[in-house]
Amino acid sequence: MARSADLVPDGELLSGATVPVVLRVPNAERAGGVAYFARRNPRMIIGGALVLAWLFIAAFAPFISPYDPIKVNVTDSLLPPGGAHLLGTDDLGRDVLSRVMWGSRVSLSVGLISVSIGFLVGVSLGLAAGYLGGTFDLIAMRAVDALLAFPALVLAIAITAALGPQIQNAMIAIGIVAVPAYARLTRGQVLAVRAREFIVAARTIGAPTIRIVLRHIFPNVVNALIVQATLSTAFAILAEAALSFLGLGPQPPYPSWGQDVNYSQRYLPNLKWWMSVGPGVAIFTAVFAFNFLGDALRDALDPRLRRSA
Amino acid sequence: MTRYILRRLLLMIPVAFLVTIGVFVLVRLSPADPALVFAGEERDPATIAAIRQELGLDRPLPLQYVAWITRLVQGDLGRSFQTHQRVLEAIWERLPATLELGLAALVFSVTIALLVGILSAIKRNSVVDLVATSATLAGVSFPSFFLGILLILLFAYVVPGRIFPPGGFIPLSQDVGDNLRRLVLPAVTLAAGSLAVNLRQVRSSLLDVFGHEYMRTARAKGLHERTVIARHALKNALIPVVTLIGIQIGAIIEGAFITEQIFFWPGIGRLAVQAIPSGDYPVVQGVVLVSAFSFMFTTLVVDVLYAWLDPRISYLTASS
Repeated sequence: MARSADLVPDGELLSGATVPVVLRVPNAERAGGVAYFARRNPRMIIGGALVLAWLFIAAFAPFISPYDPIKVNVTDSLLPPGGAHLLGTDDLGRDVLSRVMWGSRVSLSVGLISVSIGFLVGVSLGLAAGYLGGTFDLIAMRAVDALLAFPALVLAIAITAALGPQIQNAMIAIGIVAVPAYARLTRGQVLAVRAREFIVAARTIGAPTIRIVLRHIFPNVVNALIVQATLSTAFAILAEAALSFLGLGPQPPYPSWGQDVNYSQRYLPNLKWWMSVGPGVAIFTAVFAFNFLGDALRDALDPRLRRSA
Repeated sequence: MTRYILRRLLLMIPVAFLVTIGVFVLVRLSPADPALVFAGEERDPATIAAIRQELGLDRPLPLQYVAWITRLVQGDLGRSFQTHQRVLEAIWERLPATLELGLAALVFSVTIALLVGILSAIKRNSVVDLVATSATLAGVSFPSFFLGILLILLFAYVVPGRIFPPGGFIPLSQDVGDNLRRLVLPAVTLAAGSLAVNLRQVRSSLLDVFGHEYMRTARAKGLHERTVIARHALKNALIPVVTLIGIQIGAIIEGAFITEQIFFWPGIGRLAVQAIPSGDYPVVQGVVLVSAFSFMFTTLVVDVLYAWLDPRISYLTASS
């Protein structure tokens, strides 16, 4: 739907000259635009708000968490939610809410760093394979196929098991698992734009390969990559939680959502449900936020991927 | 068709080769010395050296790989460092439990996805549709281990009468009823993620098919709505679902690693997970390799099935 805007001449009017104009949207209309955007994209708003909320909690956990997440306080052990401990306490009297808040630092940092690793390696590989073609493309894509031959989480488990159960190794493992999606996506997009006139024109005027790839090809791929990055952050958080659940993430007593859910298992027969529910709901909401945002971004940024539903 | 299958099989060879290199290198990346792990409590340098020589660890890496791959093609995956049992034998013993769980999860996931997906597409924008689409998004974001724990809490401890046990496995041959009772919770846990994806695919495929002209023609001929859906819509809408089910098999293999751990299900996923802390690399390596090859084989079968189901697919383009 077209919106009205003031046409304001830029500079002095010269008779007979073509005058460049600037579209200036009044403030009131701009505010209306935000409301309009929010109405049209509720998923983006909800997903974005949830993502921002988790990023805020992760960044400021040391200041906003009510208790020390690793301090043992046996007199307060296994308290149900309410009162001084909103999400209850675990068997060692540690505050579940504080552990959830501190745990977000692990989950989100593993999510964001591993996705960055996957992004950098995968996009570079895809750009090079798609643009250069030939033997490099053949070898790179077979390597990507080999990575895809493993179920993603099995590969992440195998890599972390080999490197040792540490947070850095979980980041590397999940990053490697993310590479094929970026490489294939980028290569596909590069192949689609490689023969277009503007690339041929850039090549004809003698633009160096690196410039063609970064200035002309990459911007055409970036929208699809933003969507992929958001969705793969959701996968990375889930994968980190799964690795931690299996004991392959950060080691106790440092709080981690997956590890805390695993630890809570032993108190299920005693119905101490809050020990599982706090970190479990945290994983769900964080993954849901990135999936929701990714879905909305896909609809907004890439009309070709717009769902029929 | 034969040419297509042969071509796909040939393309699999370099990938399979790279997979074996990947698995071999992974284990060698480990900071732990396999000879020390194999030796257990034994710390005598002469014994360690003898073990190193026996395992072939004193030879250069390419030679170690050649020796390993030679044994691999003969079906020898080595021996467990811990139990000294043959890895292939250990996997073979636990495979029926994993297959039973995987199959139950797949059947559950596909049946519910088809039923709810069809209903959701037919009654688009209804309450059923709204609930189904919201549940799918929640389903893909829900960690399977958390779902498993909630199910255990609810059905094994909260609901009176302990409808389903919290875990464990009884072989089918021993007691069918008890086996099935113990299968329900892990199968639902394992199926949840793929159910959400399958349901979403069934719904959007059907909605896509509903827009085609042959659907209007079928209705204009005066066919009953049920016939239109079953004969015309579903037949075409299910083609992409077949591919998706193939992909979901990968999700079920990896999900088994987690689900088997939660429910004490003695499958190959639990075998690998329990081997990790003790550094029992031959077992981890064996299970990872078997998982990768099963996944590759399933993908091939699904691709062939897809080409066979959809005559529009050129075998040559499908393989490129």
